[in-house]
Amino acid sequence: MDKKTVTTIAYLSRIALDEGNEDKITTDLENIIKFVDQLDNANVDGIEPLTNPLEKKAQTREDKVTAKNRKDTFLDRAPKSNEDYFLVPRVVE
Amino acid sequence: MSIQYKSIKNLTSMLQNKEISHKELINETFTLIESKMDLNAFITLNKDAAIEKATLLDSKKNGSSLAGIPIAQKDLFCTKDLRTTCGSNMLSSFIPPYSATVISNLENAGCISVGKTNMDEFAMGSSNETSFYGNVENPWGKNLVPGGSSGGSASAVSSGIVPAATGTDTGGSIRQPASLCGITGLKPTYGRISRWGMIAFASSLDQAGPMARTAEDCAILLNEMCSHDNKDTTSLNEHIPDFTKDIDQPIKGMKIGIVKEFDLSKLDSEVVKVFEESKKHYESLGAEFIEISLPNISLSVPTYYVVAPAECSSNLSRFDGVKFGKRCDDPKNLEDLYIRTRSEGFGDEVKRRILIGSYVLSAGFYDAYYKKAQQVRRLIKNDFDEAFLKVDVLMSPTTRGPAFEAGSKGSDPIQMYLEDLFTIPANLAGLPALSIPNGFVDNKPIGLQLIGNFLEESKLLQFAHNFQKTTDFHLKTPSGENI
Amino acid sequence: MSWETVIGLEIHVQLSTNSKLFSGGSTGFGAEPNTHVDLIDMGLPGVLPVANREAFYKAIRFGLATNAEINQTSSFDRKNYFYPDLPKGYQITQMAMPIVGKGSIKIDVDGSEKVINITRAHLEEDAGKSIHDLFDGETGVDLNRAGTPLLEIVSEPEISNAKEAVAYFKAVRQLVTFLDICDGNMAQGSMRCDVNVSIKKEADEELGTRAEIKNINSFKFIERAINFEIERQIRIIESGESVVQETRLYDSVKNETRSMRSKEEANDYRYFPCPDLLPVVISDDEFNDIKNNLPELPDEKEKRYISEANLEEAEAKIISSSKTMANMFEEACSKTNDSKLVANWLVGDVSALLNSDNIDIEESKLSSNNFAILIERISDKTISGKIAKSILEEVWESGDDVDNIIKDKGLVQIQDESILEEIAQKIINNNLSQVEAYKGGKDKLFGFFVGQVMKETQGKANPKSVNDILKNLLNS
Repeated sequence: MDKKTVTTIAYLSRIALDEGNEDKITTDLENIIKFVDQLDNANVDGIEPLTNPLEKKAQTREDKVTAKNRKDTFLDRAPKSNEDYFLVPRVVE
Repeated sequence: MSIQYKSIKNLTSMLQNKEISHKELINETFTLIESKMDLNAFITLNKDAAIEKATLLDSKKNGSSLAGIPIAQKDLFCTKDLRTTCGSNMLSSFIPPYSATVISNLENAGCISVGKTNMDEFAMGSSNETSFYGNVENPWGKNLVPGGSSGGSASAVSSGIVPAATGTDTGGSIRQPASLCGITGLKPTYGRISRWGMIAFASSLDQAGPMARTAEDCAILLNEMCSHDNKDTTSLNEHIPDFTKDIDQPIKGMKIGIVKEFDLSKLDSEVVKVFEESKKHYESLGAEFIEISLPNISLSVPTYYVVAPAECSSNLSRFDGVKFGKRCDDPKNLEDLYIRTRSEGFGDEVKRRILIGSYVLSAGFYDAYYKKAQQVRRLIKNDFDEAFLKVDVLMSPTTRGPAFEAGSKGSDPIQMYLEDLFTIPANLAGLPALSIPNGFVDNKPIGLQLIGNFLEESKLLQFAHNFQKTTDFHLKTPSGENI
Repeated sequence: MSWETVIGLEIHVQLSTNSKLFSGGSTGFGAEPNTHVDLIDMGLPGVLPVANREAFYKAIRFGLATNAEINQTSSFDRKNYFYPDLPKGYQITQMAMPIVGKGSIKIDVDGSEKVINITRAHLEEDAGKSIHDLFDGETGVDLNRAGTPLLEIVSEPEISNAKEAVAYFKAVRQLVTFLDICDGNMAQGSMRCDVNVSIKKEADEELGTRAEIKNINSFKFIERAINFEIERQIRIIESGESVVQETRLYDSVKNETRSMRSKEEANDYRYFPCPDLLPVVISDDEFNDIKNNLPELPDEKEKRYISEANLEEAEAKIISSSKTMANMFEEACSKTNDSKLVANWLVGDVSALLNSDNIDIEESKLSSNNFAILIERISDKTISGKIAKSILEEVWESGDDVDNIIKDKGLVQIQDESILEEIAQKIINNNLSQVEAYKGGKDKLFGFFVGQVMKETQGKANPKSVNDILKNLLNS
């Protein structure tokens, strides 16, 4: 894992690597990846991945509106909002 | 009469016999909490609401099953209108507009939530050292870690402040701190307890559970914590038994598996000695031992450190400074808002895991890491399925050793990851597992892990209760006296 | 040099469920901002999605109507990216196992038929809305739309020009409205599409580099955006440069597409199975139930209108082309035995009004119910055809109730023959010279008498009765 890869995944994750910790984090990540590379030892030919220990089908819901209007609570507790919207710095498209 | 170290059973009978009022009990609890602030077990206290509820209970005639029992809630469960931080700066001012199902279940049963307990940030850690709110002390020794991530809950129960606490367990976060603090902790079958309102770390591994002094108290709590919840589609729609019903049944003739691949020779000889004594004790109770091979179990930790970071990298994307939680000061633009909010809001361990998760899911690496890990996960589960055809439970030490000193694991994250060697496999397979105190190493408690088959919490509790009826490890207190 | 265009469409259809795909939040359009937001739609810590079964049923209807493979077991994945109106930082979608697999749809381009193959149609949740131009230096986020179920219909790259693309989009719109799975309302964004455009030399086997134009929501803009993009790509290649694979935005004001660099920086979506959601299984019983209750489709309606209602093929085609028109026809036919009359009004006057206003029937103020009442009043002779025409024009403008207009303006046809006879007699008495001329052989003057009676009755007389009465009086 090189620095460029680390920079890319840091951007994908929206996490900044500052000068101080970039090397340490790169080394840590390298070591962790080396550690999980042990998985190469397993023979997984023809094995279905297990993404959830419950191998069941999902329970679904009826098409009913159950939500109540919590606009004021949501907006009041947001980092920045006006009376109608959550606000973020202007996005230019 | 002091209420310290009292069990749920004790407190319930004291309340019923009017030896103490609900309000007195809660006041006493807060006196204890305040006298032990140096443990740093709590992040947020719920004093006013707790006293109010206790006062209300005093005015009522018939309470529900756990009426008035003080309980500490891990700060990972959303509590309506009560700050929920998940151990993170990111949520230092987060006030949830709703409560987790497990919190509602316990409160509806009469429990009084006295506060939110300290924990590793977003449950990522094994020593409580990643908490934004500082380390938690293990009551068993100055500067000893309580384990993690449910370190505050374990410390609060171990020090006798509360009879019970909630925890969550993604790779051992209930069992490992239970072991290090000398208490009993149970991780139920994945899906037994609703995840609604539990702040997700790794959704396919996370499971809430009870932490208490005894297995019997864990059973009492579990009865109230479990429910089939329509809000969680991974919540099991299975019969929920009375978990206390069979705990007194003898275990004579039942079979315990010892996992061949758990190489105990690498452990401290004192740890092994404690484990061997527990085996003998179970033999004396009539259990039979069988050696079991779980060929893929040695890959559990690497599997876990792909799956859990992958899920967490996605689960923690919602912490972006837009709708709730922290936002950095004066963002220059949207990208700056995202990056600084997340860089300032998350600690190093959380960042490491998010980065690892993004890496193993990224184009070109998905098959080699994420997919492969989930394939190995199936192999591990298959190994367990085979094993439970032959045995009732599997037994191992919970941890590689007793509590260690804060800072002693150095800066290599892998050393800390290996802390969960024995506990991770049950999470990968979704199986129930518990830890009970089974001895001391250097005057520090240590725990014994029992892993059960799918939905067989009752059997685990039966094994644990039989052990606790005939031993007194769970009755030892940090001050040296027996309860 | 001759260039060949290759176009593929990804159409996002908002499914007309009451509640969202994973929450009990309302999908209603036009509400006050952030009032239709459930805990789940906020992506609050600790919340979990629960899939809405109805969305699956609606998706399956689409699959059945396009002869597609249906996956009765389908699953959800997460698509990870950051955007302010994407509350969880990921979208839940169906990547690995979509509910609908390969299918196809017929389109009609200037009278000739072509089949467009559909790669897949999968369920996913919509994002909220970002409002960029309302606040100084800030973007407002409205999460009302967040979590609304979408069916994303992905076509094969088999569309050859803008006209075909529009015809395909129209065919999909017609289908989803007939299936009652989407209201088809383009203005409200119920259907949007992303267009992938690339060009290649005719002889080349390989496709050229494509550009994706995001989020277009009108037929007109699809056509213009594609044509602009084709020109742009030809210009680039002919000047010796190469097309960049990127996402572009169509600006309808400037009629151009431009690069959305912001979306390009991170396009590694890190898809993986959503660990909160187990696979959803639709049972055989449910599947058969959907199959057996599939709404009648346009082709079937057209055939039925010809065989049962005796319409001409051209009439039947026009009426069955839109769900709203077909509903109008069927509702009005329930009020009269004269299906020809209904067809004449729809294909004649109503279509003429649509053409002169250049709108679709869905956009007009004429409701199906009001139209049916109008037809009923003609049938039961309450009003004359001439009056009906003026009422239709009034309803067209105002949307007012037909019966109210008839009542308020006193337009009820005079049925009482004695009244008409009295008026006719008065007209005859007042125009004796014309009577003489008529009787002297000037037959054309008959029209004069009819006109006078109609004038006197302000058009409310039944023309046939007037004819009969005048003939009687003048010929006696």
